[in-house]
Amino acid sequence: MNASATRGGVTTYNGELALLMSLTPAIAVAVRVIDALWMAAGVVAVLLLSRACMSLIVRAGNPGTQKDASPPQGRFFSALIVSSVLTASFEILLMSADPEASASLGIYAPLIAVNFLVLSMTRAVDSGTSMGRELADALGRGIGFAACLILIAILREVLGAGTMTLFPVGQFSGVIAVPGLIDDPARALGLAGGGLICLGYLAALVRLARKRRLASGTAGESSKDGPR
Amino acid sequence: MEPARLVLSSAPHLGMRSSSARMAWLVAAGLAPAAAWGIFLFGVPAAIVLCVSVGAALLAELLSSFFLKKLTITDGSAFLTGLLVGLFMSPSTPLYVPAAASAFAILVVKQSFGGLGRNWMNPAMGGVLFALLSWPGSTSRWTGAFAARNAAALPPLVALRQALPSPTGGAPLSVLAASGYRWSDLDARVIAWINTHVFAGLGTALQPGTFDMLIGRTPGPIGALSVPLLLVGAAFLLRRKIIRWRVPVFFLSAFFFLTLALGGIASGGSWLSGGPGFHLFAGSIVLGALFAASDPVTSPLSSRGQIIFGISLGVLAFVMRFFGSLGDGVAVAIVLGNCVVPLIDSRFDGRATALSRGRRE
Amino acid sequence: MTDTRKLPHGGVNPPNDSNISRTAPIANALVPSRAVIPLLQHAGTPARCVVQQGDKVSEGMLIGKAEGALSANVHSSIPGTVVAVTGITLPGGVASQAVVIDLEGEFGKSGKPRQPRAWEGASRIELLGRIQSAGVVGLGGSRMPTHLKLASAPGSPVALLVANGIDGEPGLSADFALLREKTAEIAEALRICRALLEPQRIVLALGEDARELAGAFEEACATSKLACDIAILPSTYPQGHEQIVLGSIGVKGAPGRSVILNVATLHAVYEAVVLDRPLIERVVTVAGAPVARPRNLKVRLGTRLGDLFEECGGLLAAPGKIVIGGPMRGVAVSSLDIPVTKGTSGVTVFDESAARTRTEWPCIRCGACVEVCPWDLFPTRLYKLVRQGSLAAADREGLSRCTECGCCAFACPSHIPLVAVFHEGKKALAGGGNG
Repeated sequence: MNASATRGGVTTYNGELALLMSLTPAIAVAVRVIDALWMAAGVVAVLLLSRACMSLIVRAGNPGTQKDASPPQGRFFSALIVSSVLTASFEILLMSADPEASASLGIYAPLIAVNFLVLSMTRAVDSGTSMGRELADALGRGIGFAACLILIAILREVLGAGTMTLFPVGQFSGVIAVPGLIDDPARALGLAGGGLICLGYLAALVRLARKRRLASGTAGESSKDGPR
Repeated sequence: MEPARLVLSSAPHLGMRSSSARMAWLVAAGLAPAAAWGIFLFGVPAAIVLCVSVGAALLAELLSSFFLKKLTITDGSAFLTGLLVGLFMSPSTPLYVPAAASAFAILVVKQSFGGLGRNWMNPAMGGVLFALLSWPGSTSRWTGAFAARNAAALPPLVALRQALPSPTGGAPLSVLAASGYRWSDLDARVIAWINTHVFAGLGTALQPGTFDMLIGRTPGPIGALSVPLLLVGAAFLLRRKIIRWRVPVFFLSAFFFLTLALGGIASGGSWLSGGPGFHLFAGSIVLGALFAASDPVTSPLSSRGQIIFGISLGVLAFVMRFFGSLGDGVAVAIVLGNCVVPLIDSRFDGRATALSRGRRE
Repeated sequence: MTDTRKLPHGGVNPPNDSNISRTAPIANALVPSRAVIPLLQHAGTPARCVVQQGDKVSEGMLIGKAEGALSANVHSSIPGTVVAVTGITLPGGVASQAVVIDLEGEFGKSGKPRQPRAWEGASRIELLGRIQSAGVVGLGGSRMPTHLKLASAPGSPVALLVANGIDGEPGLSADFALLREKTAEIAEALRICRALLEPQRIVLALGEDARELAGAFEEACATSKLACDIAILPSTYPQGHEQIVLGSIGVKGAPGRSVILNVATLHAVYEAVVLDRPLIERVVTVAGAPVARPRNLKVRLGTRLGDLFEECGGLLAAPGKIVIGGPMRGVAVSSLDIPVTKGTSGVTVFDESAARTRTEWPCIRCGACVEVCPWDLFPTRLYKLVRQGSLAAADREGLSRCTECGCCAFACPSHIPLVAVFHEGKKALAGGGNG
């Protein structure tokens, strides 16, 4: 049950690819792999924690029952406040952990709050269901967003800059130079337009795969139903 | 005598001999004189660049044919796109640039949107723009053997940009002369002869470089340099009604007059000193106007729309050349213009709007 | 007065090989041994059959009686015996009853010169009656019953009467030949129409390639005291279309309606009124590369195509496609048993190579169709709209104004079957509107 909610968030309700939402970070942030990783971590963390908090808040309104006591408008504002607080905490953490990444994320780190709202708008489960389902859904959303962002970042950084920037460990500066591309990379992919192109093809591939799966799925069912 | 089988098809039972595929091949033929001149001037490297860009375009088309399960390589459009991309490249460009540009043009700009006829952006211009954004200077890069062999180390347009703002001001050719730009020896001899034998009596003189600019013996894109040969190719296509005259004519006119009026100011001079002749002959504007902007797929249908499109391209090319940083501004101007074609088509075609207005009343 | 005018917009100049057929005089085709006479040879409802199998019919005898408002009489074109009344399929897939007559007995009427009868004293009603009972319909292709066109409606005076002497299609020259050989008769028919309609002005429209006929016609007009202008129009196709002829001649600001009649129709009017002869034969151009002797033939209605080709020396090569009408609008048929009807102005034969279907390429928006459309439409956009099923949007773009003249499909370098799609679209639109 919970696993299916997670899977739904990664595939069917994937904010980036299926619904084409929260495009801004994909275009603006996913230029270096490390920025994408931080951004993804932030979004997943904020999603999970906010949804957990929201679940608690909704229940606190009417303890002991599954019924949703808080009005929807109030819920929106409390979600905004909760996610803003969590986003600000993430920002502060990031600033101390990796100042460089914090600088390059810039305005997009605070905007995680907005991404949270966008990604939570189309939740696959009803509000007020069990905490487990809420979290499973949030996890799916987060993973879907993160995977997509990281994939785009890898594509763009490797092709558009000829490098792959990861965490520096010891002697390793964190930057992997891709041989053959480092000298004269296709810089166009590092630009905003390049981000959109990558996103477009990714979305197209996902849709194609889904269409294929649906087609084969229905074919299988009809053959099962056929004899009867 | 009862015939075995009579074809039943709808009227009309006659049609034009020409076909879309033949048109694409003919446009490629129209580019042939300029391409041949480029190969003659720059030698084997130019031929290799052209082969690579055409080959990459054909390969990309084959690849997409495999995915789309429809063989479209015979329609000639891939060949034409590859050739056009190659002609926009400098002969000293690394070969992965034309290859990537052609592949991008075919795979992303054309086939991803549904193939020939459905692409809203001119594939060749999209490819060239991709190259310009990724590898700045790919149309004007001038290195290695070329720099050694040719007198001038830089294309005139690039040299002009570096020479500005010039202390002396004035027309582009005088600025170049003042900055010490070197033209070929042939140019020096021809200009000297003309000046002593023809112009001396009239009390004026030709600027050095006029001859080089006219015949395209300057560093720059392979196919864009010889304006007279481009015009010959275009005249052939116009005569056969394969390209339409409105877009190129209004494109070049708008660019000419804007450059004449404001080009001087943009480069730190005075009114009416822009040297429009120099700017028409430098860079790839004539090539772009005649062979890329006139692409029917990406230009408006109605004649009024074509005029508006042509003028907008002229304005965009002017702005991009004098205030932009993407090469000579032609490719980016055409791509931007392509973006507004649907708008022009729906807003400015006189007959259709009159029709809808008539309906509303 | 003769003046030359221009086509308002568009049009094409397809190869025109009508010179072959236009120089020779009109030949009288042999009377066929069997005639297949459809009861639907006009726009509107079919005529009601008034003969039965086994009946003896004489030449010109009424075999189908007009029924309903838009209908016309049908007469036997040969003397003989009715062998069957059967259903056949006309070109374009229209089903109709047809009377099959085998030749037998004597020719009562044709062949012998007839005494013209006076018409000038006759009343309007009587004149219209003669035209109606002779079954005269528009022979240019409209197939409208002519008496309806010639009936003057009270309160709507006729400003302009046009005799359309331009052949409807490139390659056809039936109207040209008729005008050359029956000049006096056509002038006389115009006088009849003048008496019926009392138009303010009469104009003969001629194509540029028929300029040579202007002199003879002016003489004929002078003899019969008919004031008729001649307008020379360009021979660009589709200049022969009625609306384009009227538009080119132009009645600016003149009140009243315009009536336009094809010269073949006028000739039929003359025969009906003056010679009391029903419409049982017409001039047909037989053209096309495989035809041994392309020419204009005076043919009995109901003659089958196979007989027609034999009159022209047979076919030199196997036909790939046979078309009733001309190359631009003609309807392809599948059998040589299709009969000539009132609306058949020509038969065009294509050899196998010309009949081959051509490769269709994607639309490259070259605008050729927009340039040639005489109705100021955007065929490329209409095509996309109809193809994606947006019929309402196509209607707003003017789909209903398309006359299927074929210019766009002719000019299309991608060989897209524009006209076929528009035809389907218009049919769907009409169907949707009714149902």
